[in-house]
Amino acid sequence: MLQALIVIPLLSALAIAFAPKANARVIATMSSVICLAVGVLMAWQFRWGDSGEMQFGWSMDVLPELGISMSLGVDSIALWLIELTLLLAPICVIGSFSAIKDNQKTYYAWLTALQAALIGVFAARDLAFFYVSFEFTLIPMWVLIHLFGSTNRKKAATKFFLFTFTGSVIALAGLVYVAWFNAGMMGGWSFDIAELQQAARRMNGTQQGWVLLAMMAGFAVKVPLFPVHTWLPLAHTEAPTAGSVVLAGVLLKLGTYAIFRFVLAFVPDAVVAYAVPIAVLAIIGIIYTGLICWVQRDVKKLVAYSSVSHLGFCVLGLFAINSVGVSGSVMYMINHGLSTGALFLCIGMMYERYHTRSMDEVGGLANKMPVWAFFMVFFTLASVGLPGLNGFVSEFLCLLGTFQSGAGSMGVGGTVGSLGPWFAAVAGTGMVIAAIYLLYMVGKIVFGELREPADYHVHETLPIDLNGREIGVLVPLAIGCVVLGVLPTPVLRTIEQPVNQLVQTLEDAHDHMLVRGGEDGVVVVAVWDESEGDVE
Amino acid sequence: MNHELLALACVTAPLLGFAVALIGFRRRHSSAAAIVIASGLVSLVASVLLLITARPEAQAFTARWFMIEDFSIEFGVLLDGRTLIMGSVVALITLCIQVYSLYYMASDPGKGRFFAFLALFEWSMLLFVYSANLLQMFIFWELVGLASFLLIGFWYEKPSAVAAAKKAFLMTRVGDVGLFIGLILLFQTSGTLDVLGIANIFEPHGLPESIAPQRIELIAMLLFVGVIGKSAQFPLHTWLPDAMEGPTPVSALLHSATMVAAGVFLVTRFHGLFLDAPTTMTTILWIATFTALLSSTMAMVAKDMKRVLAFSSISQLGFMLMGLGAGSLFAGYFHLTTHAFFKALLFLCAGAYIHSSGTNDLIAIGRAGAARRMKITTIGLVVGGAALAGIPMFAGFFSKEHILSALHGPGQMIFKIGAFGAAFMTAYYTFRMVFLIMRPNPNSQATPDEPAYPHDDAHGPAEPLAMILPIIVLSLGALVIGFFGDKIGAILHVEHIHHPTIGEMAPAVVVALLGVVLAWIDFGRANAKQRGFVSLVPAAEKLFEKRWYIDEIYNTAIVRPVIMIAKLCYGTETRGLDKGIDSLAYSTAKVGREVARGHVGRLQLYIGVAVVVVASLVFYVGMR
Repeated sequence: MLQALIVIPLLSALAIAFAPKANARVIATMSSVICLAVGVLMAWQFRWGDSGEMQFGWSMDVLPELGISMSLGVDSIALWLIELTLLLAPICVIGSFSAIKDNQKTYYAWLTALQAALIGVFAARDLAFFYVSFEFTLIPMWVLIHLFGSTNRKKAATKFFLFTFTGSVIALAGLVYVAWFNAGMMGGWSFDIAELQQAARRMNGTQQGWVLLAMMAGFAVKVPLFPVHTWLPLAHTEAPTAGSVVLAGVLLKLGTYAIFRFVLAFVPDAVVAYAVPIAVLAIIGIIYTGLICWVQRDVKKLVAYSSVSHLGFCVLGLFAINSVGVSGSVMYMINHGLSTGALFLCIGMMYERYHTRSMDEVGGLANKMPVWAFFMVFFTLASVGLPGLNGFVSEFLCLLGTFQSGAGSMGVGGTVGSLGPWFAAVAGTGMVIAAIYLLYMVGKIVFGELREPADYHVHETLPIDLNGREIGVLVPLAIGCVVLGVLPTPVLRTIEQPVNQLVQTLEDAHDHMLVRGGEDGVVVVAVWDESEGDVE
Repeated sequence: MNHELLALACVTAPLLGFAVALIGFRRRHSSAAAIVIASGLVSLVASVLLLITARPEAQAFTARWFMIEDFSIEFGVLLDGRTLIMGSVVALITLCIQVYSLYYMASDPGKGRFFAFLALFEWSMLLFVYSANLLQMFIFWELVGLASFLLIGFWYEKPSAVAAAKKAFLMTRVGDVGLFIGLILLFQTSGTLDVLGIANIFEPHGLPESIAPQRIELIAMLLFVGVIGKSAQFPLHTWLPDAMEGPTPVSALLHSATMVAAGVFLVTRFHGLFLDAPTTMTTILWIATFTALLSSTMAMVAKDMKRVLAFSSISQLGFMLMGLGAGSLFAGYFHLTTHAFFKALLFLCAGAYIHSSGTNDLIAIGRAGAARRMKITTIGLVVGGAALAGIPMFAGFFSKEHILSALHGPGQMIFKIGAFGAAFMTAYYTFRMVFLIMRPNPNSQATPDEPAYPHDDAHGPAEPLAMILPIIVLSLGALVIGFFGDKIGAILHVEHIHHPTIGEMAPAVVVALLGVVLAWIDFGRANAKQRGFVSLVPAAEKLFEKRWYIDEIYNTAIVRPVIMIAKLCYGTETRGLDKGIDSLAYSTAKVGREVARGHVGRLQLYIGVAVVVVASLVFYVGMR
């Protein structure tokens, strides 16, 4: 079924390219809806009891002599992210109906192809296939920004491409090193992720450290983590609405997912050793970009920067190295996709009517578009992390995980890891900052006296407030926000197994280090020096 | 009686009211109002039945919300003395205000939305009060904040209202971060999120030996940070006066029995824990006393009737915290209860005057002849004022006496003196307000800030039933609730209530009467100049009117620097970081172009280079 999720969009993309223009969006819609149906079916058939195992396995040899195959399979975490992608796909397509008028064929073809690539990333069980999909996402995204963005789109597209591409080449170096290490050990090439994972864990501290640095260099760009986030605001601002939705909703999660799947799982020793500096970067990002949001005048840029700030929590949760933090982080990936994706949709709907994103030019839209205002406020609150909506649960778990991570500080005995209460306290100020800038935004554009650009006239096809199609696009996301906010248990239960398996290895790595290193202060050194003997 | 069912009805009725009013009756305002009032009535009946019938022993009804690892988070309703009383008070006051709003908001185009928000507010507040779980408490504490945000900013086209709503949400959220960390720490320390479980650890027998005293101090202090924000104590008090921008029923609801009371309620909820943290208790006393004095001075010179009441709310919350900080759960809780009645009453009276005179200005309201036209409202004002001022036999008198007599410990003399000072000022500013309305003097030196715009009679009676009924109910409450001290103490399981003797009561009575007499001399008697004694020292008057310049100080010392830092960050971002990385990339690209002699575009070049690199890597390793 996984292969169907890749093949259907690819074939549809081809069909769009050759079919008459009028059919483009019909085919794209049908393809995405069929895929969503397949996704529902998959969720139905998934054996949730063995959620840590790879299911729906499928494999095809591509280059047997190098051990490269196209093999697919998902555990519950990958499945959830696939479901997120599948949910957002029709929303993006249908949400673009009125915004995209020219070049529809190109637009819908690439949008549909992008979906295939995203599924490929989450479903890959082979490193080479993962990397190909990971890279392939760049091309459709580049086209979408380059051809369909706003004024500064060319620069944004190029910058986006250069940044993420450079990053992933470095990540590739790390991944290939692991494969090479494995080949050296096993005497034959393989790119099977599970096999490489076993091999990677046998590398010594120094090797793990370098691999971690290489992989983080690549994936951090994608997340994006401070200070390599500078491509994102521009890309978001210039991208068409659907582009921003996919970018924020799924593309950024490729980074965190890759960190989860490769960094955490491959090099546990190095993760334990490097958790603190990475967490520090994440926290700097949370606060620094949060402050930047405060002085933005461009709504879309504000939400773009807020993504950077929010994903800081996500990374923080991962490097808390305990199940609470990691589960929170996985939840965060899903939740952020829903709420920020929806915010971009709302802003897009405003932009279509007013042709501006500047808070100086529009404001007080609640007077004119009450339905839109409701959704805008709703998703803002979800994004602020208001209890009862989805953002809160994941933020709470990430912070709780960070808080419990590490023993000793503030007299709190926690789990393994080395973050602790101070990290949580400082990151907690991000909660206040987020409230400040998001309420500031809502206060400007939703509330207050009605302000409209001088040349405003009612859109030719769109009504003053949202039409049925636009509401229909937002409602599923809103339902998702409420359901995941009120009843997070089902999702949390299903990701428990893979998270616990991973955390177990990390805990072992930690104990392993404590036994050898003793005091916290010399841990890093201890790993690097004493594990030299483990090679070969 | 099935308590579980009653509790469920009590806490779910407002949610249903909210949902139905918001979704079903967006355009049918009156139906929305009726549904919400019906749900409020259900909550009130259920909570009062619970209060009467539930066993005094604590019991909790919970259900699992979510589970992570083997640790389950249970949400539910906890019934014990503290929640039963507070729940009934909240339900009663809310219902009064909902009925009152029927007329007050009758001609507002957003009436349906208003009632929906009222129901949302009631739901959050009730589930906060009845919380059986720490996390639940925090969640509904935040939802109370959200509902307040929506209600204060209800008139969203008014920029000042939007700003006030934002300020309220943000300043309380500053406190919330402290509270949040405190709650996590408390959870780590006690190993449970269960409110009853935590109470059992700390409550009857003091601190268990396994827990370090500093840890308890830290937790108590962090929880108190949350209280400072929510209950508008110094230094986070500045949002409350601004919050008066909301409709008056909202002010009555938020600043009497509910939102701001949530902070104090939190302290009563974990009072056992606070008792184990003596340093924190002293801090509470300092802050509460200082806040009570500070806000009283502001109330003495304010001309806006709602602002006077707002300052007085801050000050009375300070009184409650003084009682709790002195170690008396009963004194603080009792004052929380009585204050709910008389402060809601005063706000509703203010709303009635404002509605009929079209101004918030005390002097203008008085001169418009409101007192003559609105007799029942004026009686309500006097009853509420007397209760607030602590005139004997009115509600506030009893509870204030308990607070004053609780301040008897060693080293608490200074707080007692402060409390007397605040009590004096309270009596003075309360009756200043009463006299300015009841005894207008057109020839006095007082000048209104804004003139009155009395509604013409086409708007209906000055005292419609929907507005007068709640005022009567609350007046009766303010008259009798003071006599229920022993009953409340019994429900709270307070074993020994210290009844102040006549000798102990005398000073407070004297101080209160002194305040009233001085107010009479300044404002009440014929030919009074209607300029307070504060005006003898113009500098002080100015200082009080400017609210001690605290808002200005925050602006200069905190807000502007942070914005500057934010701008600096953005500057670094655009001019430094972004440029830096860009130039790195472009110079690399330039080198690439040089190498490729300009034949290929940047992008193709990069792909090309990457392919070559990858291929050679693969080739290299493949050959080995």
